[in-house]
Amino acid sequence: MKSLTIRNLSKTYFDLYAGTNHTAIHDVSLEVAEGDFVAVVGPSGCGKSTILNMIAGFIPLSGGEILVGGRPVKGPGPDRGVVFQSFALFPWKTVLENVAFGPKMRGVGKAEREAIAREYLALAKLTEAANRYPNELSGGMQQRVGVVRALANNPDVLLMDEPFASVDAQTRMTLQEELTRIWQEKRPTVLFITHDVGEAVFLANRVVVLSKGRVLDDIGIDLPRPRSWDALNEDADFKALSNRVLQLVRSA
Amino acid sequence: MTILFKSWHHYLRLTQRFPSVGSIVPFIPVVALWWLVTALELFPRVFLPGPGDVLRSFGSLVYKGILPDYLQDSMVRLAVGAFCGIALGIPLGILIGMSRHAHTALWPVLLFFQAIGDIAWLPILVIWFGYGLVSMTFVIVYTVIFPVVLNTVLGVRSIPIAMHRAALSLGASRWQVLWEVVLPGALPNIVTGLRNGLGYGWRALIAAEIIVGTSGIGFLMFDARRAGSTVEILLGMIILGILWYIVDSWILAPIERATGQRWGLVSK
Amino acid sequence: MRSRQRFLSGLLFLLPFAVLLVLWAVLVPWFDVNPRLFPRLSAVAEAGVESVRDGTLVGHIGASLLRVLVGTVLALVVAVPLGIAMGVSPVVSIFLTPLFRFFSVLAGIAWIPIATLWFGYGFGAITFVIFNAVFFIVTYNTLLGVSTIPPAVRNAAASLGAGRWAMLTEVLLPGALPNIVTGIRTGLGFAWRGLIAAEMIATNVGLGYMLFVARDFYRTEVIVLGMIVIGVLWLLLDRLLLAPLERATIERWGMVQRA
Repeated sequence: MKSLTIRNLSKTYFDLYAGTNHTAIHDVSLEVAEGDFVAVVGPSGCGKSTILNMIAGFIPLSGGEILVGGRPVKGPGPDRGVVFQSFALFPWKTVLENVAFGPKMRGVGKAEREAIAREYLALAKLTEAANRYPNELSGGMQQRVGVVRALANNPDVLLMDEPFASVDAQTRMTLQEELTRIWQEKRPTVLFITHDVGEAVFLANRVVVLSKGRVLDDIGIDLPRPRSWDALNEDADFKALSNRVLQLVRSA
Repeated sequence: MTILFKSWHHYLRLTQRFPSVGSIVPFIPVVALWWLVTALELFPRVFLPGPGDVLRSFGSLVYKGILPDYLQDSMVRLAVGAFCGIALGIPLGILIGMSRHAHTALWPVLLFFQAIGDIAWLPILVIWFGYGLVSMTFVIVYTVIFPVVLNTVLGVRSIPIAMHRAALSLGASRWQVLWEVVLPGALPNIVTGLRNGLGYGWRALIAAEIIVGTSGIGFLMFDARRAGSTVEILLGMIILGILWYIVDSWILAPIERATGQRWGLVSK
Repeated sequence: MRSRQRFLSGLLFLLPFAVLLVLWAVLVPWFDVNPRLFPRLSAVAEAGVESVRDGTLVGHIGASLLRVLVGTVLALVVAVPLGIAMGVSPVVSIFLTPLFRFFSVLAGIAWIPIATLWFGYGFGAITFVIFNAVFFIVTYNTLLGVSTIPPAVRNAAASLGAGRWAMLTEVLLPGALPNIVTGIRTGLGFAWRGLIAAEMIATNVGLGYMLFVARDFYRTEVIVLGMIVIGVLWLLLDRLLLAPLERATIERWGMVQRA
């Protein structure tokens, strides 16, 4: 696990159809320490997914730099694991093969990579589903696979792009609790993108509020761990923090 | 690099405003390449004539009135075949789709007769009806009908049972259910079937005209083959391609989109 | 228990054919149909037995299947890599799509006159017709298949460390496979018809030739036998090879909801 540093990041699009330049990100700087969990919240269209796509290397940056463990990154790579909102599982591979994909790309032998995959599947309570195809699983199960697929590749930084936005409310709460549990167990460096204020406060150590391509505020979340919705729903600190973030997002 | 980028963006905007541009421009380099190959005489002219030769032969065939006549013959045959195929295929498809017994009795037979394929019927049709219009119409109807029936059955069967129940509980009679629920519900599939059917029917028509025809574009090509005239064969192929392209992408595909995608029944 | 159920449903599938055969066996002698117009069942059966015994049927079937096999394999070897290469870039695929639609329209039969002129009557021309029927449709479908892979899936593979080769074999090829299989199925459908048509015109062996020669002598029993053989062969090819392949990829992976 390593730290993630973003310095003076900016992004300007050339809009093919309009034929003009459009600035999506203005001079954003952000530091995620080794083993930290940072959530970025903001209304849709604030540029949070653009930032994540640049860190992941899916789109080029227009200015600034991105460092993982102090070294600049270029293009997509296994040092940054990504969990997608649309899951992006390989439908033609079984759950086990999906999770073993990263190790396979590193050249790990079949027996060993399947052992790694099984270990991570057990972590997310997915052992039973190992030989099923993604299509045969519920949305919540699919995203569990998405999370452990990224983790099984042992990335330096875990990037999560609204991963729980397309699952139902009950499942989302379970997944959030599981994520905090897995995070405490493995302590990966996480950058978590979401538009859900409660989710950000529940999960993260720090919440960064983004608006119109700029950082509005950076708020520390010192709630005790392990966290559970049962305990936090009635917690005064949680409510106060959530309210504060919500006010910021709504003022944006 | 930026110039390429900019011109590509202009091209995209142009195709947005006039979609037909996007389906014409890509052919320009192909024709240019064809012209270049023939101008350099990489192949003997007799084997591969150039675009100019084909254009000249187009002009002379139009002037003589042969081409318009043949084109009309082919289109009328296709239209008659398509109409009969639809008129027979949709009711049959709905029957098989809605009745379990009809499905058990007819489905396997349908699959088998579809598998025989239109063209294999030609020899016996020639014995029955001789060379001419009846044989050809039979082949086209035969070809169009199977995709229409099979897709109509799929469409009817894909309508959720809840929709039948909803209509019935809102007071619809059996006939109203058929008219208001089953037919529109199966429509996207019917249109897809029609599109496939016409695709096959078109080819069947060409084959029939080649083998047993006395007029039509297919006959033009085969007549040219007998005379060893590559120019007219190529002309025939180009006309076939353009005609079908127009029918398919300007008439059938928009209809398919308008039903399936508009209603969100088919995700493309 | 399950095998018994399958046996029963198979029987139910064959029942309509039995009815059809009985009708044929009874009605044709009943109305005393002229054998020059429609043969009796027994005559077709005799023709079948005889053509199997003297080896002509096997020869025709072998010739037809060999042409289909050679044409299809050649077409696939070229079409799949080409389609993937073109589908990787959205710019190229937007530009080339109309071209391939145009040529897939011309697939098969329309190529017969020029193919016989270029290659002469025989194996070359017919294989060329089959090649064409399969090639354009499979290339077009491969291109379509690659461009329908969600960008997120390609991104996921890249961020998990997939290089160019792994991207090709692990993502692009399997991702396009359902479309490729559908393309093969459609293309072969056209190719099969093109084969029969071409064999009627351009050769002296094969199922189409067998039909067309029988017509000259009004041997309807041979024609009907040929039609049945053509139907059964295609049914076997389509139902036992292509349809299961399509189901295995598409339905299991749930990638495309097929009508």
